[in-house]
Amino acid sequence: MVNAPRIPSDVPRPPAHVRRNRVLMIAGVVLLVALFVLALVTMNLPTWQRFVTGMQRNFMPLMRGLVRPETEVFGLAWRSMSETFFMAILGTALGALLAFPISFFAAGNLLGGTRWALPGKALLVAIRTFPELVLAIIFVAAAGPGPTAGIMAMGIHSIGYLGKVFSDVIEGIDQGPMEAIRAAGGNQLHTFLYSVVPQVLPEFASHVLYRFEINLRAATVLGMVGAGGIGLPLIQRLQFRRWDEVSMLLIVIVGFIIVVDAVSSRVRNRLV
Amino acid sequence: MAHIRFNDVEVVYRTGLKALKGVTLEIPRGQFVVVVGLSGAGKSTLIRTVNSLVVPTKGSVTVNDVNVTASRGGALRRARSDIGMIFQTFNLVKRSSVLRNVLAGRLGDLPAWRGVLGAFPREDVAYAHDCLARVGIPEKAFVRADALSGGQQQRVGIARALAQKPSVMLADEPVASLDPPTSHAVMSDLKRIAREDGITTIVNLHFIDMARDYADRIIGMRDGVVVFDGTPDEATDAVFEEIYGRPLESKDLRGA
Amino acid sequence: MPEASSLPRPPAAGRIKAALTVALFAALFVLAFRQTGFNFQALFSGTADFFRFFGRLVPDWSALPQIWPPLIQTIQIAYVATIVGSLLAMPIVFLASSNTSTDPVTLWIARTLLTVLRSIPDLLWAALFVAVLGLGALPGVVALVFFTMGVLAKLGSETVEAIDPGPLEALRAAGAGRNRTIVFAVVPQVAATMVSYILYVFEINVRASVVIGLVGAGGIGQLLLRYLNFFDYTGVAAIIVVIFAVVLLIDGFSVWARSKLI
Repeated sequence: MVNAPRIPSDVPRPPAHVRRNRVLMIAGVVLLVALFVLALVTMNLPTWQRFVTGMQRNFMPLMRGLVRPETEVFGLAWRSMSETFFMAILGTALGALLAFPISFFAAGNLLGGTRWALPGKALLVAIRTFPELVLAIIFVAAAGPGPTAGIMAMGIHSIGYLGKVFSDVIEGIDQGPMEAIRAAGGNQLHTFLYSVVPQVLPEFASHVLYRFEINLRAATVLGMVGAGGIGLPLIQRLQFRRWDEVSMLLIVIVGFIIVVDAVSSRVRNRLV
Repeated sequence: MAHIRFNDVEVVYRTGLKALKGVTLEIPRGQFVVVVGLSGAGKSTLIRTVNSLVVPTKGSVTVNDVNVTASRGGALRRARSDIGMIFQTFNLVKRSSVLRNVLAGRLGDLPAWRGVLGAFPREDVAYAHDCLARVGIPEKAFVRADALSGGQQQRVGIARALAQKPSVMLADEPVASLDPPTSHAVMSDLKRIAREDGITTIVNLHFIDMARDYADRIIGMRDGVVVFDGTPDEATDAVFEEIYGRPLESKDLRGA
Repeated sequence: MPEASSLPRPPAAGRIKAALTVALFAALFVLAFRQTGFNFQALFSGTADFFRFFGRLVPDWSALPQIWPPLIQTIQIAYVATIVGSLLAMPIVFLASSNTSTDPVTLWIARTLLTVLRSIPDLLWAALFVAVLGLGALPGVVALVFFTMGVLAKLGSETVEAIDPGPLEALRAAGAGRNRTIVFAVVPQVAATMVSYILYVFEINVRASVVIGLVGAGGIGQLLLRYLNFFDYTGVAAIIVVIFAVVLLIDGFSVWARSKLI
């Protein structure tokens, strides 16, 4: 025999904690929306009208430019982008070189034990937090404009990320091979060179490549504050709204980055 | 004359755990000793006091009448380079080539600058190839260590220890990570080489049948104390039940 | 023992590869030094200049009342852009995942769009939209919306592609259409991860929102630029300290909230 259909009041109510979570969830969403509306109202955003006219006046020319870019600036775009590329290489190399020693202290399982781990980690967080572009501005103000300022800004800023991931790698190494070298009569330097370095090097290299991909993007904009690379010619043309030339520069930037990303991620996959 | 001498060796770990409670033993030159016991009986600690990877809190170990326990720095490293060691988990640098792993065994005798640059003399490289040939894998020299099977990796471990030209060989559960046929192959390689070169060998095992098959002498340990010391013939099932403190189980046998 | 001269040599392929790698890197670095004019002397003198300059950066706390309003605007820009960008990213997430996309052509278009979006850095978006829309917070918001879409859709589609295909199959077998499959089989599996990614993107957006002002896209960066142009280094120092504190705070909040989620 088939059961009679339940009447609605028969349906069991969900337990208290489920109902409470549901209320919390709704309250959270309401809070998010309220904050969103509050932000929109207090932000002094211009009228919708200005958004539309701005888009009409400039976005369409930009789109047209993307279809028919000014080929005369291709040479300039290529030269500036290759300078940008080499800046990223040197900045990344500098960062890796500086991060290497710091990471061993921050790791806390090899050098000097845990004594240095905390100050080391704190230093890395501080460096990571400091915006790269602000560093670049300081370098430009202190040492004058040019690629060197950008390379140094990238180098310093990269220490934060690379030092962190390097020390994570070091903390995860297999201690067994180190014991084996010690048992064979090797000293501390031997242990380091023959069992620590070979273990960590491929992963270090992979992280350095990943950071290089990030730095290449960063290097394209550093020029906007005078720190070398394609950012300077780009922002000049943006200020004068030379959309066809802007488009050429954009195409070179995007194309270059996509190709480098593809190559780099391939190499990274083979490394680890 | 004894080659290795344990004089009332006691080890208390920082956690308060008493791993060895006064072990006194004499091992003559060229003997192939198997130490048996359950895990936690103190086998690993015992062989690690021989090369001072674990330093006794009381007593001392001498090898060739040299007090290893009292040695520090360069003297300790020289003592260690005369003592090869093989590990349960092989402890190879997996991303380095087999040859480079074997050459690491030569580090103890190398001038500092050569060690730093990795500039091993030709005769060392030649010897490393010889060692690989003796464990039966000469063709694997330029392969990355992690591309080898478990048994092959342990053979690299033996070759590395052999490259030290040691007079003592320590093996800490060398076949625990291997399957039965490979275990026997590795153990008979180890025994053959020890016999040929007259190397005094201490092997930790927990398999009864393997201990009986390969040992010249069996030492049984329980709770940090030597509870049996005799020939394989004397080590009956009753003796093993005494050492293990429980009836024997099938997992105590490696099988063929 | 074999004769020293008859030692086995490593395979030729390996040696050639190693030599080529070394040569490639050497060439890259030589070119890099030449193209950028970077040298070690510049490195050391630059470092010295940097620290000398840094020494002059003594914060002037009387600038604080001026710093507050643009700082709040910075966070608002990041907040609004994160929400709008996340909403806009959602459809792209499902179209760019091989297991939830409609057809191969759409999948390819969505992925290509993502690749292009992701190759453009935050500041470039900002400079672009300042040129299109004029100075202020509006180009900042629009720029970060695009930036958010690039970052989030990539992370999201990787998550969606990694889900357990079982529930998807079960719903399809029960006759559910694509949208219902997504709502009932995919969303519950990825929701927590997506929220955690959104928090992460918010964190990135706060950092980005600080600097996009330097090209005129509103917020604290714009004030920083003004101080810099007037050589008001004590004001600059105050802003830098405040930025540092705020970023640290938001990072801490985001890490805490994400740890609560998973």
